[in-house]
Amino acid sequence: MTASTVEAAQAVVEPTRYWTRQRKVGVGLAAVGVLAALLFGALATGRKAEFTLAETISGSAVGINGTVGAVLFGAIAALAGAAMLVTAKRWFGWLLGVGIVATLISFLCWQLSQAPDNLNTIPLGSVARSSVTLALPLILGALAGVLCERSAVINVAIEGQFLMGAFAAAMFATLAGSVWVGILAAGVGGLIIALLLAVLAIRFLVDQVVLGVVLNVFALGLTGFLYEQLMAKDQTRFNQPTFVPEWDIPGLSDIPLIGPALFKGNIFLYGAIVLVVLIHVGLFYTRWGLRTRAVGEHPAAADTLGVKVLALRYRNVLVGGLVAGFGGAYFTLLSTTNFNKNMTSGLGFVALAALIFGRWSPIGATLAALFFGFCSALAFSLGSINSPIPSQFLNMLPYIATIVAVAGLVGRVRAPAADGTPYIKG
Amino acid sequence: MRSVRGMRIVSILAVGGLAAGLAACGDAPESSSGTGSSAAPAAGTYKTCMVTDIGGIDDRSFNASAWKGLTEAKADSDKLAEPKNVSSKAEADYVPNLTQFAQQGCNFNLAVGGLMTDATKQVAAANADKQFAIVDSAIPGATNVYPMQFDTAQAAFLAGYLSAGYSKSKKVATYGGLKIPPVTIFMDGFADGVAYWNTQKNDKVQVLGWDKATQNGSFAESFTDQGKGKALSDGFVAQGADVIMPVAGGTGLGTAANAADKYAVVWVDVDGCESAQQYCKAFLTTVVKNIPEAVKEAAVKGADSTGMLTGSYLGTLENDGVSIAPYHEFDSKVSAELKGEVDKLKADIIAGTVKVTSPAQPK
Repeated sequence: MTASTVEAAQAVVEPTRYWTRQRKVGVGLAAVGVLAALLFGALATGRKAEFTLAETISGSAVGINGTVGAVLFGAIAALAGAAMLVTAKRWFGWLLGVGIVATLISFLCWQLSQAPDNLNTIPLGSVARSSVTLALPLILGALAGVLCERSAVINVAIEGQFLMGAFAAAMFATLAGSVWVGILAAGVGGLIIALLLAVLAIRFLVDQVVLGVVLNVFALGLTGFLYEQLMAKDQTRFNQPTFVPEWDIPGLSDIPLIGPALFKGNIFLYGAIVLVVLIHVGLFYTRWGLRTRAVGEHPAAADTLGVKVLALRYRNVLVGGLVAGFGGAYFTLLSTTNFNKNMTSGLGFVALAALIFGRWSPIGATLAALFFGFCSALAFSLGSINSPIPSQFLNMLPYIATIVAVAGLVGRVRAPAADGTPYIKG
Repeated sequence: MRSVRGMRIVSILAVGGLAAGLAACGDAPESSSGTGSSAAPAAGTYKTCMVTDIGGIDDRSFNASAWKGLTEAKADSDKLAEPKNVSSKAEADYVPNLTQFAQQGCNFNLAVGGLMTDATKQVAAANADKQFAIVDSAIPGATNVYPMQFDTAQAAFLAGYLSAGYSKSKKVATYGGLKIPPVTIFMDGFADGVAYWNTQKNDKVQVLGWDKATQNGSFAESFTDQGKGKALSDGFVAQGADVIMPVAGGTGLGTAANAADKYAVVWVDVDGCESAQQYCKAFLTTVVKNIPEAVKEAAVKGADSTGMLTGSYLGTLENDGVSIAPYHEFDSKVSAELKGEVDKLKADIIAGTVKVTSPAQPK
């Protein structure tokens, strides 16, 4: 009550202050733009930097002199930042977008102009497709997190659900000779961990962060043991699934840049899109969503109004498990066609970060995941053109970018008020 | 009250998970202490014990190879007892694992991997009467540690030359798991092999993902993340590469799985058609480190000798300690001329007329 009154009051007072958040970001962006123009402009060579929207560098490309490009696009970013001072709140999103993209192009002009011959083209279609592919498990994991945490159960066990899903998918897809059976099994794998999470968190009131960590250890040990006992002994029989089929959408898949990224997809891509929309609409426009959010913010109040708090939490955690398990199948049916120990390599925790970065909303989390995927894809692309940036820094890129974005752009994030607190009917 | 019961269940899960993980990794060292003696042992009493690095016993790579060597040694010599192993979960486990085995009376303590150098040095000094051996490292001055090292750059050089000759797009690529010498030595040799092809044929084949001069390139920072392996490979393919050599353990499986007919893969450590059979049709060849043979020899020699093993082992093309594997399914796709040149190059390297150098080479 009081908090919202204060915020409303601030919103009324705000226009009288000159240094709004938008103007501060504008100054920051202008500074970054000037810095980019100077730094990248000085480092770039006069050779050509080429950009193509295709998936490989064989097609036609747009080229620009490296130094000119680096300075020009740095200046554009600086202008976008300066414009924010004038326009303040209006067009903030657009200007910010232009500023970030221009800074990025300035940077790429430097990188491409110093690359060896025949490597000074960046295939943006491939970067876009890689970004989306790398983001998929993060999106699905974060959605599982949204379902759990919106109803106030912290889910640190996404990693474990991924692993169980990945293992079950590889094993059952191989045994049944069908990827669809594998995907079903993956859902069940995720469900098993979710069931443990739900019962122990909701029924037995165990500390949810500790519980999540323990479930991850359990999943890692169990899949490792089964891998050793079954798969390692007979790879052909237990660990040789096939890829999920690629479903191109005719016409749309030929669009440059977004075609290969969004319309040359597979069950995981289209499934993720459907789930994001479903969960977003469900959470904010349906009775289920209203009740879920109520249970996450103030379970006692929801209970008073007749919502079955615990039943709803059970249901949401279990559905979350299905989603994360489905995400786990990505690892063994899309990334590759085998299971290896600990193959999820901490991505469950990155999904958790995307959930927080995206402010516990399905669309926010998706954007955060895509951002993370893009940074990784960009780092790999720069590696493939023999960038002089030490590999350690390239690999840090997604993490540094995330920290900068969280600190500078996202503002204060707030978890659901009851997140992590068990509900005891009193 | 309920949370107490809950915590109990949680502890069972935690213990269950850890135990399953451990069970998967072979026998944990028992704590019984035996009496070790280094006198020439009777039949079946020379105990061989192996501590893996964090890759674990089933890494389809060098830990698995070393273990294969120990089990083969047992089959070869009746002086050996059944070998034992323990997997290290973290680098902090190296010292305790090695110490436990030494105190249990293991006569031959094998440490696998350069990451264990310091731990082996420390434990070997504290157990001067036991024989130690280490793969991929050497400990100067320690008389009871037998070093086994491999000049992998020699074999990788051949693979680089072969890849350059095989490539139609004139672009070949490599990436590593981590930037550490046992990984970069492959990449150095590979890059030099390509460079040698270019000087011999006056050609311009490019190496993506590694620059030997600056020692900088592409790394997955993981030996397990196959999604990264796929993404790195997609990046190389987008730039036009048609041969890729991943030096990244499990991460490389992502590259092998996605090869289809887009690119050929050069595998490392153990012949890909044995260690990852399902992807055999993607493997142009493998840069093989013959760890099993080296370990077997050392264990058998250790059982036969009365004192500590002297000298050291260096795997080269000459003693077959490193080699490139058969072409398997690529046999018909590699021209006879190119095969001949690779064989000739091997002879030249052995004869010393072609020198292979890498900053990561064993000294």
